[in-house]
Amino acid sequence: MPRPQWVLLGLIAVEIAVFGAAGENFLSWANAVEMLRVACEIGLIALAVTCVIVAGGIDLSTGSLMGLSAVALGALHRDWGLPLPLAVAATLCLGLLCGGLNAVFVTRFRTLPLIATLGTYSLFRGLAEGFTNGARSYGGFGDSFASFGRGWQAIVFAAAAAAFWILLERSRVGRGWRAIGFSPDGAWYARIPVTRRLSLAYILSGLMASLAGVIYVARIGQAKADAGTGYELSAIAAVVLGGTSIFGGRGTIAGTLLGLAAIVILQTGLRLASLPAEFAGIAMGVLLIVTIALAERRSRWVWAIAGTLAAAVCAWAIVRPAPPTRRVTVAMMPKAKGDPYFISCRKGAEEAAKKLGVELLWDGPTDLDPAKQSEIAESWITRGVDAIAVAVANRDAIAPVLAKARGRGIKVLTWDADARPESRDAFVNQATPQAIGETLADEAARLLNGRGDFAIVTGALTAANQNEWIVHIKRRLERHPGLRLVKIVPSDDDRDRAFAETQTLIKAEPSVKLFMGIAAPAVPGAGEAVKQTGRSDLFVIGLSLPNLCKPYVRAGHVQSVVLWDTVALGRLTVESAVRLLRGETLGPEIVLGAPLIFTRANIENYDF
Amino acid sequence: MKWALAALAAILAFAAPDFFALANLRDLALANLATLIVACGLLLVILAGEIDISVGSQFALCGWAIGFAPWAAPLAGAACGLMNGLLCGALRLPSIVVTLATMVALRDAIRWLTQGAWTRMPDGFQWFGLGQTQGQWLLIAASAALALAMGWALRNVRVMRFFYAVGASGESARLTGIPVARVRVLAFAALGLLTGLAALLNAVRFTEVQPSAGIGLELKAIAAVVVGGASIRGGRGTMLGTVLGVALLGTIGAALAFLGFSAYWEKAIQGAIILAAALAEYWEARRA
Repeated sequence: MPRPQWVLLGLIAVEIAVFGAAGENFLSWANAVEMLRVACEIGLIALAVTCVIVAGGIDLSTGSLMGLSAVALGALHRDWGLPLPLAVAATLCLGLLCGGLNAVFVTRFRTLPLIATLGTYSLFRGLAEGFTNGARSYGGFGDSFASFGRGWQAIVFAAAAAAFWILLERSRVGRGWRAIGFSPDGAWYARIPVTRRLSLAYILSGLMASLAGVIYVARIGQAKADAGTGYELSAIAAVVLGGTSIFGGRGTIAGTLLGLAAIVILQTGLRLASLPAEFAGIAMGVLLIVTIALAERRSRWVWAIAGTLAAAVCAWAIVRPAPPTRRVTVAMMPKAKGDPYFISCRKGAEEAAKKLGVELLWDGPTDLDPAKQSEIAESWITRGVDAIAVAVANRDAIAPVLAKARGRGIKVLTWDADARPESRDAFVNQATPQAIGETLADEAARLLNGRGDFAIVTGALTAANQNEWIVHIKRRLERHPGLRLVKIVPSDDDRDRAFAETQTLIKAEPSVKLFMGIAAPAVPGAGEAVKQTGRSDLFVIGLSLPNLCKPYVRAGHVQSVVLWDTVALGRLTVESAVRLLRGETLGPEIVLGAPLIFTRANIENYDF
Repeated sequence: MKWALAALAAILAFAAPDFFALANLRDLALANLATLIVACGLLLVILAGEIDISVGSQFALCGWAIGFAPWAAPLAGAACGLMNGLLCGALRLPSIVVTLATMVALRDAIRWLTQGAWTRMPDGFQWFGLGQTQGQWLLIAASAALALAMGWALRNVRVMRFFYAVGASGESARLTGIPVARVRVLAFAALGLLTGLAALLNAVRFTEVQPSAGIGLELKAIAAVVVGGASIRGGRGTMLGTVLGVALLGTIGAALAFLGFSAYWEKAIQGAIILAAALAEYWEARRA
């Protein structure tokens, strides 16, 4: 076995030892199945990308193609009424076609693979967003499809791994890929059909990305344009960690599988050891550099550093203070950890946990990602917490996990956004989407005196919450016939993007007099844009945190901000969880109160 | 790429002449200033035959560092760049792997350090305490001067020619006595420094810095450099091409808004334009 793989095997052994000691229920059958389920989609892509990279190329479009395939499957099955097997077959054909597009650009038009697939990376995701208007999501694929996603995909993955192993390491095709990776010209002189071989690699990559998209839909139970965001990088990381040379020529399927295992074990293990999710990225970065250094350089120094690191981590796992007598544990999940809104909820949750003497686990996806939510909730079930409270990003996606949790006697609450009523014990409701939409539309009508054009600056175009609010805002406009919604632009939860989009809108759509930001960073972004025009006839309102908007509200560039008391929401959630655990019966909905409207008159009274 | 830019300009001149209003061009220049400065640095790294995909994470880290002192941003950037440079240039590890690692690690490090909290700038920091108009033109002048100086130096300064030599053939460069490892380290360190500068100049336009800033910046900058005609394999590329690349990719979004396209199709159209630019290049090369 080549050297990098020995290094990787050692790494995986260290990981298993450390997490076996430090994580709860890490060494269990349930956890093994869960890790396999998570690994399948990235794994399928990584198998095909191994071949592309061995042939000297790269494919950045795989994650986007997953999203396009998920949407295509949903549209074919739900809108066109195709039976599921046919819809899956058609989706896979779409994958072949999209892979073919990459192949045509790389082989026929001699575009650099990085550029060609960067173009299709944008194109595929854009098509998925365009066809669904970002918002549509497809569900209801039936029970047999969902049960396929509960573990059967491992068989597909194993078959694919075997097929790719034969193809890359035991066939003429694979030898051709290697030759092309070492030297395309040399391969051509050796009478290897370069165009055909290269095309096959990209087409297979498209097919696998599509297949991963289908499996994603089966696992999550829902198809939306943002499926597979970032999967291309995870797959490439697994391939490269597995010792495949990024310059082409060298690489093995076994290495990719080991690389994949190392990454998945690391991510799951950190969760079960209840270390913050951010450590996953830091640890993965260090691992990538150390393994590649060990594989490429035979220096004694590198070995010494790696050995010290491994020893230190092992020592930490053994001596780390054992958790004190087991306390009641409440696990609470935001939709996205980095969102300022959820950060202020956490403050209240921690206060309440301290007061009531329970342990609070706070973790969630670093970006909006329904698949990650399910994975984290699974790891909490494996870990054996007492109560789980989730701010649900997608109610269909989370349903099976919540049902499983309730089956194990764990109390399940939802907060901020609800799941299906039958999959939770109680919902801590801050304000309904309807109330939010109506309050915003009424504020707009008040400021514009019932007449005028306005635009919405949303989060990501695919964000479920925002899209629900937009529906209610539009519905409320029937009451305000003078108002016209001219345009919806995305900010991707980035203040700078919200700023630039608003600036462009001010000039491109001069009739717009009011900008409605419906993501926390969108309101200060739009406020800054209005401030820099120096005009006083433009209004900015929206849904955001008072602290982010204070300077703009004070200076009169933002007129009103709508929100509820986020700290109280966090507190109420933990309190409700504890009351449920004590056996009290609560109603199905616990209501926080009506939304607050912050204006220049009252904003100084709030600090969150 | 020239053709794509010319076509876009022609369509805009015809359909939405307002696009060329001075205020709009100024705002677009400001919006793309960070990408341009990062692309300048990235050009050096790509010329030297390497790649750096960690610039977006470096950008966020440098923005956070401004909270301590303005000069901490370029310093933090240079430190990150030096780390990448030593791993890639001195240890000769593949740069795409090293910078993939630092991209993920730095991004999660900044998430953990800030826990999502925004970094507030000191009072009077906006526009360096100048008025808004002077501040805006100062930023544009500074980045234009930087691009011009880079363009001139890449043609006329001996050390800057080393980047081309190293990227075209490391072995020949070594045989002619060029300190290849040091040139590579220098390229990464310069990129880090410029990324820090970009973070600083971008922060000056606002009053707060978001820890999630710079996500996707690496793709924007790499696409601009490569669409601008630089070879991803090293040794070939110009400053002018890079500036045009930034201009094309940075104005598509705003141009589509002026032409009245729905934002939901923007990403698809951007992808199609990158592919169209690739096609145009192919036909140009075939005719020649």
